Amino acid sequence: MITGFLFRALDRKAILVALALMAIALLVPLSNLYLPASHPLHVPTHILSLSGKYLTYALLALALDLVWGYCGILSLGHGAFFALGGYAMGMYLMRQIGTRGVYGNPVLPDFMVFLNWKELPWYWYGFDQFWFAALMVVAVPGALAFVFGWFAFRSRVSGVYLSIITQALTYALLLAFFRNEMGFGGNNGLTDFKDILGYSVQARETRAALFAATAIALALAFVICSGIVNSRYGKVLVCVRDAESRTRFIGYRVEHIKLFAFVVSAMMAGIAGALYVPQVGIINPGEFAPANSIEVVIWTAVGGRGTLVGPIIGAIAVNGGKSYFTAAFPEFWLFALGALFVATTLFLPKGIVGLVSGGVARLRTGREADRIEETLQPEAGAAE
Amino acid sequence: MRLIILLSGLLALILAATMPVSADEAELRAVIAKFSEAKKFSQTEAVIEELQALGDTDAVPTLNALSDGLLQVRESDGAVFIIKGDGETVDLLDPLTREAAGTAPGADLRKVKVKNSIRRLIADVVSGLTLRARNSAVRLEAAETMFSRPDPAMIATLDGVIAEETDAGVKTAFMQARAAAVLQSDLPEADKLDAIALMRDRGGRDVLPILTAIGASTQSDAIRAASREAIASIEESMMFWDAGQNILYGVSLGSVLLLAAIGLAITFGVMGVINMAHGEMVMLGAYTTFVVQEFIRTSAPWAFDYSLAIALPLAFCVSGAAGLVMERGIIRFLYGRPLETLLATWGVSLILQQAVRTIFGPTNREVGNPSWMSGSFEVGELLITTNRLWIVVFSGVVFAILLLVLKRTRFGLQMRAVTQNRPMASSMGIATPWVDAFTFALGSGIAGIAGVALSQIDNVSPNLGQGYIIDSFMVVVFGGVGNLWGTLVGAMTLGIANKFLEPYAGAVLAKIFILVLIILFIQKRPRGLFALKGRSVEA
Amino acid sequence: MNERLTRSLLYLDGVSVSFDGFKAINELSLTVEPGEMRAIIGPNGAGKTTMMDIITGKTRPDTGTVLFEGSVDLTKHDEAAIAQLGIGRKFQKPTVFESHTVEDNLELALKRDHGIVATLFNSTSADQKTRIEEILDTIRLTHRRAERAADLSHGQKQWLEIGMLLAQDPKLLLVDEPVAGMTDAETVETAKLLRGIAGEKAVIVVEHDMTFIRDLDVKVTVLAEGSVLAEGSLDHVSADERVIESYLGR
Ligand SMILES: Nc1ncnc2c1ncn2[C@@H]1O[C@H](COP(=O)(O)OP(=O)(O)OP(=O)(O)O)[C@@H](O)[C@H]1O
Ligand SMILES: [Mg+2]
Repeated sequence: MITGFLFRALDRKAILVALALMAIALLVPLSNLYLPASHPLHVPTHILSLSGKYLTYALLALALDLVWGYCGILSLGHGAFFALGGYAMGMYLMRQIGTRGVYGNPVLPDFMVFLNWKELPWYWYGFDQFWFAALMVVAVPGALAFVFGWFAFRSRVSGVYLSIITQALTYALLLAFFRNEMGFGGNNGLTDFKDILGYSVQARETRAALFAATAIALALAFVICSGIVNSRYGKVLVCVRDAESRTRFIGYRVEHIKLFAFVVSAMMAGIAGALYVPQVGIINPGEFAPANSIEVVIWTAVGGRGTLVGPIIGAIAVNGGKSYFTAAFPEFWLFALGALFVATTLFLPKGIVGLVSGGVARLRTGREADRIEETLQPEAGAAE
Repeated sequence: MRLIILLSGLLALILAATMPVSADEAELRAVIAKFSEAKKFSQTEAVIEELQALGDTDAVPTLNALSDGLLQVRESDGAVFIIKGDGETVDLLDPLTREAAGTAPGADLRKVKVKNSIRRLIADVVSGLTLRARNSAVRLEAAETMFSRPDPAMIATLDGVIAEETDAGVKTAFMQARAAAVLQSDLPEADKLDAIALMRDRGGRDVLPILTAIGASTQSDAIRAASREAIASIEESMMFWDAGQNILYGVSLGSVLLLAAIGLAITFGVMGVINMAHGEMVMLGAYTTFVVQEFIRTSAPWAFDYSLAIALPLAFCVSGAAGLVMERGIIRFLYGRPLETLLATWGVSLILQQAVRTIFGPTNREVGNPSWMSGSFEVGELLITTNRLWIVVFSGVVFAILLLVLKRTRFGLQMRAVTQNRPMASSMGIATPWVDAFTFALGSGIAGIAGVALSQIDNVSPNLGQGYIIDSFMVVVFGGVGNLWGTLVGAMTLGIANKFLEPYAGAVLAKIFILVLIILFIQKRPRGLFALKGRSVEA
Repeated sequence: MNERLTRSLLYLDGVSVSFDGFKAINELSLTVEPGEMRAIIGPNGAGKTTMMDIITGKTRPDTGTVLFEGSVDLTKHDEAAIAQLGIGRKFQKPTVFESHTVEDNLELALKRDHGIVATLFNSTSADQKTRIEEILDTIRLTHRRAERAADLSHGQKQWLEIGMLLAQDPKLLLVDEPVAGMTDAETVETAKLLRGIAGEKAVIVVEHDMTFIRDLDVKVTVLAEGSVLAEGSLDHVSADERVIESYLGR
């Protein structure tokens, strides 16, 4: 049973991508740690951290693609799952600070001492244990996605309505996490982390290890997603995207199909968030901002939705562009991003991957390329 | 803030009341001029008492200015002025007429010194003067002021004016002011009980602290019981007023939401397009207002009160044109793909925001209220601010006009036809692409108008639109598409629910609560309160 | 009555549904025996498709009884559950999964466990593969099995959809206008195909094409304004005054 799944998961493309990611996970940290700074192949630490961040974004985009690209659920709230995973990890990191905080309280994080809290709120219990925090990293986003999706899919909320309420969801969480009373550090969020699993988060070795962990997580996620989309379940996902009600009439429980994808996707987003936080050193409510979630959508679209490599390429390309632009022409980044949204939807509906594979196909046979162009994936909202 | 508005309102009233029948201006001026020689506090007090003896309410602005430290003497010639502004040079106003009387360097001016005891004296004198003013409105205001700052020393004065007073309303106000003073005094218990009864009849928020204080400080059981009972009775009626006030705030918020959402409802209803740049259309409208006001400030200051009337059509055109360009340039290529339209319009919204940020800067821009939109007034216990009131009226008018356009015009008919069955409408010879384009322009134009209104109550910044967009979505999703009444009901429900929750939960929690409620509501009615039904919707 | 109920595969009694006050189905009663083939004709808007919507759980009736196999109340189940009970449906407008291959379309429709775990982990067995081959053969699409369904012609899509119905292996097939857009030769073939299915499974066919109905040669129910106007052999109903009046014309 599992072997069948794995067998389907590891098609040629998945093996290639997974191997490439594994190689990156190994070589980049090694080059950072052991090659002299003058060496042409040396990866400086700031590039390592930056790339580590991009890889978490790639994981987030991959998660979104599973629901949007394959199942047609345009979630405008995936940033919320990312942030929740991030907060779970942040809480662990906060508790690791111990007495090294400004107020030196062994149990309470600084912001709680500052707010005059006397006791740790119950929902902070257990976060001093890594295994518990790691569990929460997937459990909390998963549970939220489950509850939300259960209601939404059962009532057949779909299309733009669903997009809008996912946006409302992350917006509500944004407002909630801004409140000091919530006990998550309010405006400032969680920061000033010291250790992760006993190693200093600032240390070069830790950073390299975090990078490697992210690349490996991405590789695993890729293989799992590949298994999912190559299975019959994955094909049903596409059916739901293209003709939801038809899928029902041949006996599939569309709400369960969607719910499963949504929950898996939310958990992946949570993991991405958890890997993100120790690498950037902070998590604050800003991560819940609706604009962030929409940006994830554009990474996916630029790379090519409905493919598994697309979102990874898109996330890295767009964020690379962002880093470059915000340094070189800070004024223009939003213009560029806005134009990217417009241009991608108008001219590149299949993203970079579609462009490349279309080009390759055109080289092979003219006719086949035309066919690919003609049958752009229909949109979920329109197809039914 | 409110106090300042109240005080300036009071001043304006006093001025209006006294302007035509100035008793003996020369005499007043002669006394006021003596302030320039008053170097000691005792001398200043003497001058004030002289003014009191004249018994003319015209002296009130001078006295108030004195109390505020704004009455100053020009060193060069010893003339007395009320000053305005601060810094290197200040504006001089005539102490009696408050007309501009030139400017002077700050260094050339000397403040007429006052201390707290003098301020108290001034307050007494001012109230004594105004209590006998010829205009009953002034007397009423004076009574209110005395009520809010009760002073046992004034009881005798009040007794005097109560005996003289002929206007029943003013008389009641005087008696209430007296009652407030009595409660602070050490008069016998019977008097205080009478005073409490009076207070109880008066009711209102401002009575409660007085009664609470007396209940807490008194030795007498009778007084304590009476005040407790009065408080209970007042609170009961207050609850009623509070509910009214909440509804009022809610309606006001609701009309803001209605203005912001109604254009969105149109574009969403007709085209199934979620326009994420809708908020930016609102923002464009607000910036249009800003530009119009800037222009008026520099070239035609007298027209300031008409700035909104000028801005309205302009904002409609600016945002409408932006919408038209957007529809023709982008959206029409994406019909049938609502999710991609959503993304593309989000891109447009980013571009517009950044464009405005580049042109006008990232900070808030100042948009002024024309005089007819400033201020506030009270009805019973309800506080109504004029600008909010205008916005309620305005959104009602916009709504009505829109209804008429949709119901009575040919364009409206075509629009409804397209909403209900696009292929059918197009095969009936309706040029659906143009209906789409103009519907989009109309929706955006209305957003622009909303921007003019919002510029009056909110900060005009590049993020203005973002602040409203999610709420507007909620209104549309809640109300359902294809029916303007749904939008109206949606906006009002959300507005009022929000304001009712706020006192219990605080603004942020209330908002979260509403969002969660809508998310739950959507489960029950996935297409809103007033959903269109039928196969075309399912398709 | 009771005996009719227990014997019948599908039993509709006094079913009504209205949309915004418009009665699309009005006191409709209909019984279909196991293995029976029934043709349903009627003017546009008679409520034929709506009747199928009711049977398959897409539309909930306002009043009335809808029973399957004498005991299962279909109004209490949703589309997926009804499909799993063994009611398959072909739509008036052909809908196949366009981005999947012809073969995948059939494979997805195959009758088997549709739960998450099964769809994720189970592979297609040899038996199931043979079944797909058979169906491909029946619907004459073997040579195009690896092509995307989007590339099929209109008629081929109709056939593929019928093939998907077969793959579902239902007890009752609801077929809405199967020959719309087909050539005469294809129409004859389709009639043959459907007749072949009947007997083993019950079939309800809605069609406007009278030659096709004649080819089927089964009991005909005429629907008009949401209720049954006449029932019997084609010759019997086409002699009925009211049927001529409202549907066939003179
Ligand atoms: N969901 C719905 N909402 C509103 N009206 C509906 C709905 N479904 C069906 N109707 C109406 O019910 C009536 C019956 O429609 P139905 O599609 O069942 O007719 P039909 O017999 O299949 O016609 P045709 O032969 O043209 O396919 C029509 O007038 C239709 O407009
Ligand atoms: Mg039909």
